[in-house]
Parts: sequence; C-alpha cells; structure tokens
Amino acid sequence: MRWKNAWILARKDIDEFKKQKLVIGSIIAMPLVLGIVLPLVMFVPAIAMAPLEDTWDINGLLEIGDFEGDHLDPWTNQTLQNISLNSTVIYYTVLKNVDLHDCVLVSCIVENSTLSNSTILNNIIEHSQLNNVFVSHSEGIELDGKNILSVNSDLAFTKTKESEAAAFLPMALNTVLMLFIIVPATLPTVIASYSIVGEKNNRSLEPLLATPITDGELLAGKILSSFLPTMISTIFAFVLSVILIDTIFFTQLGYLPLPTLTWILSILLLAPLACLMSILACVLVSSKVTDVRAAQQVGGFVIMPVIVLMLGVVSGFILLSPLTILIFAGIYCCIDLGLFYFARAIFNREDILVKWT
Amino acid sequence: MIVCEDLSKHFGNIKAIEEFTIKIPDGQIFGLLGPNGSGKTTTMRMLSCLINATSGKAFIDEYEIGRKNDNQKIRSMIGLLPEVPGLYETLGAYKNLDYYAQFYNVPKNKREKNIRNMLTNLDLWERRNDPVGGFSKGMKQKIAIARAMVHEPKYMFLDEPTAGLDPEAAKTIREYILDLKSKGRTFLINTHNLAEAERVCDTVAVVKNKLIKVGNPKELARGLFTRTVCVTLDYIPSSLVKNISMLDVVSQVHADGNKLFLNVNDPETDNPKIISWLIKKKLNVQFLSEEEYSLEDVYLKLIGEDDQ
Repeated sequence: MRWKNAWILARKDIDEFKKQKLVIGSIIAMPLVLGIVLPLVMFVPAIAMAPLEDTWDINGLLEIGDFEGDHLDPWTNQTLQNISLNSTVIYYTVLKNVDLHDCVLVSCIVENSTLSNSTILNNIIEHSQLNNVFVSHSEGIELDGKNILSVNSDLAFTKTKESEAAAFLPMALNTVLMLFIIVPATLPTVIASYSIVGEKNNRSLEPLLATPITDGELLAGKILSSFLPTMISTIFAFVLSVILIDTIFFTQLGYLPLPTLTWILSILLLAPLACLMSILACVLVSSKVTDVRAAQQVGGFVIMPVIVLMLGVVSGFILLSPLTILIFAGIYCCIDLGLFYFARAIFNREDILVKWT
Repeated sequence: MIVCEDLSKHFGNIKAIEEFTIKIPDGQIFGLLGPNGSGKTTTMRMLSCLINATSGKAFIDEYEIGRKNDNQKIRSMIGLLPEVPGLYETLGAYKNLDYYAQFYNVPKNKREKNIRNMLTNLDLWERRNDPVGGFSKGMKQKIAIARAMVHEPKYMFLDEPTAGLDPEAAKTIREYILDLKSKGRTFLINTHNLAEAERVCDTVAVVKNKLIKVGNPKELARGLFTRTVCVTLDYIPSSLVKNISMLDVVSQVHADGNKLFLNVNDPETDNPKIISWLIKKKLNVQFLSEEEYSLEDVYLKLIGEDDQ
C-alpha cells in the first residue's frame, strides 16, 4: 500500500469539502457545541445551585450545643509519650503519641494520639484519631475518626465530606466523555457515505479507477478524508472542553478534575477507533449501493456498538476506567480491522462501474 | 503495441463484444467505430483494466490485461478519457489536473509545466482556478482530455474526444492528438464523428458487438466499393452511354448532366484507354477525377450489411 496515493485522494476530498461550507461547518460546529456549549449548560447551573463548601461530618459525629469558649485552659504538670493506656483517668497532662482505650481525659493536651471509647473533657487535641468518644468543652484541629459525640466543643477534622459538586462530577463527566466518543462516530457518516457513491454519481469514479491507485489505497484515502477533519475538530473540542470544565470546577474542588487517564485514553484511542468504525462501515456501504440516500440510511446503523457503550455507562452497567476503555478499544480495533479487510475484499471496480444508477 | 485476441465481454445474457481481435502498433491512431451499444466503451474499459474480459486475452506491451500484477502497470501507462468528463466540479481546472498527475508520480515542476502548457493550449489558463462546475460542456471536455494526457502516457484511450466541442475547439483537440502522435504516442479513439476519424485515424475498426471490418479508411472504401471515374465532357451525345458500356474495361456507366460516371476495376490502367476512346469519338474531355467514398459511406455500408 502506497500511503502517498491515499493521502493525495484524501487531500482532494478535503479540498472538495472545504468548498461545501455547510459540510465543513457541521464538522466544526458539532464538536464546538460539544466542547463549549454542553459543559456550560450542564455544569454551570449545577455549580451555581450547589453550596460552596460543606464540612465533612465524620461518620456518627453528633454535635450538641455551641462551643462558647468558656472552658478552662488545661493546666499541665506532666507529659506522657509513646505509651498505651486502658481504663485510666488522666488529668492535666500532655499526651504525645499515646494509645488510649476506655479512658477519661480532663484538661489535657493531646497530640498525635489515638483515643477510643473514651470521654474527653476540657482538652486541646491535635492530629489525633477519635473513635467512639464523647467530647465536651474541648478544642481540636486536624482530627480524624468516627462515632464522636461533641458537646460545646470546636473540632476541626482533616477530611471534608465530598461537596455536591464533587459527587455530581463523575456521572456528568462520563456523560460528556461518551458524547466525545459518539460524536466522532456520527459526524463523518454523511461524508463517508457519500465518498464512493458520490464519485459514482458525479461520474468521476471511472477516471479515478483508471489511475494506478489500488483498491486499498482508494479505500484508505476515502477513510482518511472523513477521519481527519472529524478527529481534528473532536480533539480541538476536547481541549476546549477540558479547559472549560477545569475552569468551572477548580474553585469548587481545589484541583483540576481533567484530563484523567480515562479521558486521555478515550480521546486518543477509543474516539478515533469509533470514528474509524463508523467511516469504514459507511465507505463499505457506499461502495455497494448506487444511491447516496441508501448509503446514509444504511450507514446510520454503524454507531450501534458505540451506543451500546454509552447505554452501559449511563445505566451504570459499565464503569468507565482505563481498563474498560482499553477493553472497548480492543473490541473496536478488531471490528475496524475486520471491516477494512472486508471492504477491500468486496470492493469490485467492475460492479461499481457497471451498476450505475 | 496493443493486442486483443478473441476478447469477449458478456453481461449476463448480453454479449457486449464478441471475439474482438486487433493489433494496434505503437504510434498509431486507431479508431473504433460503431453504433451506440456496439461494445466500444466496454472494449475501452477492458483495455483500461476497469472491467474483466469474459474470455480472450489482451496485452499492452508485455503486460496482460486482467492479470492482477499487470493491471496496475497498465493503468500507469494509459490515459483515459471516459464518455462523461467526470471532473471535480467544486475544484478549479488546475487542481483537477494536478491531483491526477500526482497519482502518476509526476514531479512537481513537471506537473506545473505540463498543466500550464495544456491549459494554455486549450485557452483555459486564465480560468485555471475557477471551479469547473461553472464551465461549459466543451470546456469541461477540454479539461478531461488534458487530465488524460497530463502524465504524458504512452497509450491514450479517448471516448468521444470531440463530442460537445465547438469546431474550433475540436480542431485544437485534433491537432493536439496529431502532435502527440508525432511524438510516438498511441491512441485508441471511440467516435461517432466519422469525418474526424477519417482525418486523424490511421486505422479504423467497425464494430457491432463484434469486429466487422478493420483497416485504413481508404483501403476499406476500396475493398467495399467499385472504383468510379467521373469524366466531365462539354456535351454528352445520346448514344454515348450505350457505346461506352461496350468497352471491356467499363463495368457500369451512367450519365448526369455533362458528367459520365464509369465503374472501372483499375483506373490507373483503364483511364488512358477510356480517354483515347473519347478523343477518337471527337469528344472534348474537360475533367477526369475519381469518385471518393467517405468513411461514412463505408461505415453505413458495413453496418447495413451486418443488419441484413
């Protein structure tokens, strides 16, 4: 296969598309809608309605009353470090790196410790783990744990609960990602369906077939001419979309949610393969029918494997992950190869020329 | 050289062409004449490796038509002008030619030079960038011809090259073809324009789903028609037709005004005898000429005979 010949044919076709403003316009407009308008419509209202920040309640944390700041500062006279205590009452002590079970702590300073099934009164607690504890008139920072009953205390935990925006994000991003796979699969169907039957109708196929171009080169050229504009505009839209989504969510999340590995694999692997699958099927149909409308009608069925993926993702049956993307990419790749060899095998110059409309 | 040996093509029950056998030496212009549906285009498509023969063989140089490895080589040696120009209507004339030349690996400089020369010769250089969709039928035909020749192929297959062209454009194309022939190119031309075929073709084949006759246009006429000599006299006596028919060299005679039409077998030998006889009869011979039969006469006779 001489790729040069395929490239010449693809350039010729792309030159022709450029003259058809509506065709090229639709190829550019669709991804732009997808990349800019859709994120704006989907995410901005969701973000506007979501609360700005929501502190995480540690599982089982129950806060009763307000901390009024009227507790006594703990008075310390000794320090305990690196020990483990059970069923002990501790007063006025600095505790560092201790492991306490079933204890009562009164007016202590606790650092880097673990407290379980204990009562904590009038303490200052830092960098500690609290499990099944009652806390009263105390202050705490950088805490973690579960089942905490807090009364008149001011406790700050290291973890925060997922914001509504963060909870909403994965499903919304998956939907957008699916569209980035569906659009390159649907966008080229019209031009790919037209590729060979259009040449046939224009009567330009006979002189083209009389050149030294081979069947494989001809098919490759026709595929390239549909593939390149579609994927270029899709990747351009993808970049815009990533920038836009990151801009929208950065203030909410404090990090950039995109691009993830799943997204990168999807856009660089799955979307091109889905696009190729659609084009191959349309070109194949285009070489066998005698009418552009018939080619487009039949070509409409080709995005079914992509629809299956989308339905699976939206329904939650398929979880999107790099592995899932690689598995689907493998399936699409096999279908693409099969379609290409099948299209080349059934491509018959005589049939195409003799069976004019 | 192009050689066809018993080349046949059937489409189901329809026999498009049967046992077609010809030889076209290099540097010749070979015309295929025949009514619509007589298999001319099918033959050209087989030779262009676009469709496969049902039976028989054909060769272009050492390459055999229909053999997978040879088809591509043959296609790189030929230039095809199909029945319909089939141009890319949204593209300009230059781009239409440039893309085709690229398929034949013509270097960029040469492509530019060839395209410029062709479009200039065909009076289309000024409009090289205009979309050809807006061109007249004749202009499109010119570009299609240029497309078939842009890579300077050794063999050119032209289906109705001057169809739809005005007389001036047709003359330009004919001169272009004759110029390329003088440079050693070989042409196979399908045409209904018999006058044109007579003017440019070295050999013609009359086909009607089979080869009816092949030869030089003049030789074909000689083979089909008895040669007729026209003698113009100042007057024709009433007994002259009867008396001159007695001459053994004259097979048939009739008069029209002051012209006497004599069928003879060998004018080069018989004309002096006839002139001597007329002078002896004291008749003034004003002109003596041989009646020419056109290719159209030949074609109509051959096709007519085949119909019978």
